[in-house]
Amino acid sequence: MSQSKAVAALALGCVFLAGQAQAHHSFAMFDRTRDVVLKGTVREFQWTNPHSFIELEVVDPGGTVTGFAIEMNSPNNLTRQGWKSSSLKPGDKVLLTMSPLRDGSKGGLFQAVQLPDGRVLGDLAHAPSAVSKPG
Amino acid sequence: MLRRLAVAGLGVLALAGPAAAQGVNRPYATLPDWSGVWQMNGNTVFDHSTVEPPNGAAGVANVRERPPYNAEWEAKYQANIKKIAADRWPDPLTFCGVPAGFPRALNVPDTYEFVLRPEQAWILTENGPNVVRIYTDGRKHPPADEVWDTYSGDSVGHWEGDTLVFDTIATRGEGSTIIDRTGVIHSNALHVMTRMHKVDANTLEAQMTLEDSVAFTKPWVVTKRYHKLPAGSRAYDYACSENNRNLVAPSGKTLTLGSDGKPIDKDQ
Repeated sequence: MSQSKAVAALALGCVFLAGQAQAHHSFAMFDRTRDVVLKGTVREFQWTNPHSFIELEVVDPGGTVTGFAIEMNSPNNLTRQGWKSSSLKPGDKVLLTMSPLRDGSKGGLFQAVQLPDGRVLGDLAHAPSAVSKPG
Repeated sequence: MLRRLAVAGLGVLALAGPAAAQGVNRPYATLPDWSGVWQMNGNTVFDHSTVEPPNGAAGVANVRERPPYNAEWEAKYQANIKKIAADRWPDPLTFCGVPAGFPRALNVPDTYEFVLRPEQAWILTENGPNVVRIYTDGRKHPPADEVWDTYSGDSVGHWEGDTLVFDTIATRGEGSTIIDRTGVIHSNALHVMTRMHKVDANTLEAQMTLEDSVAFTKPWVVTKRYHKLPAGSRAYDYACSENNRNLVAPSGKTLTLGSDGKPIDKDQ
């Protein structure tokens, strides 16, 4: 097994765990059968219990800015999956995959993010490049 | 002072002899090593052996298990399943501040630590956090007129070899605690017998036999496993109220608050 394969396998292992980790409420509000890719700018990265959040600003073709609340795992679990509180910074331009809120509200459950340097954090199977073009 | 220590030492020896044979007050040095940080295998469905569809996750519409419910409690379970499909069945934990309760404490995400002492075993869950205290000093459950229902109940146990065997009664159940987010609940008549042992160096197993004379037609046997996280892993604070952006609407829907503190949900 090459080193890159080993790293990929390790990352998949983390993903396996990440998929199980739920925190303090049911995730019935999210449509986990759908992936929505957002292209936006990080306004805030809340490294907090019981859930971390990414506040993402998305600009539509008309120039209107819409804020999305992207709900994540607890910092405890994110740490064990390789995240740091500094993994995202305000101003970072990212591609992000989420399972959207089922009622169409501006938020969702975090799946994966592609950072400005191209690295992907989260569930690689749901990496923005693996899912679809940003909507 | 020395004499007092010597007397205390004799006391310990006296206890260790016959008591150890009965598996209680087992001397510290003879207890198995369950040290480290652990995590439950699989998702938070309680009974993976009966979940439908296979590998279904709790909180996803129409995922269910097959608890041996009588007709009345099967109807209650089905009502919960419908509410979950409509996102109208809040988990009690969403309100922050109450324990997961037993047996759910053996079915939570995040880390576990298992602390073994001669007189007690403690199950520490990061999520919550929760503490389950299991008395292994030979005591019995309190008399019926002295015990009251609590989230975690009353657990007393003993050692059979390196298997921790404990008995739990006086849990709350319906209206207060749940077992998982597929909608599994139980009554306060629940009685759980748990056998925990190490399967190998990195695997702990808990086999629970649940009897509920109000809700079940026969015992429900569920086995959970836990794997050891890499050496050096840590457990952390879990502060449910630190940034709880998921309040529950009167409708039962779990909301998402925006950064301005107002719900972003169109449908409440």
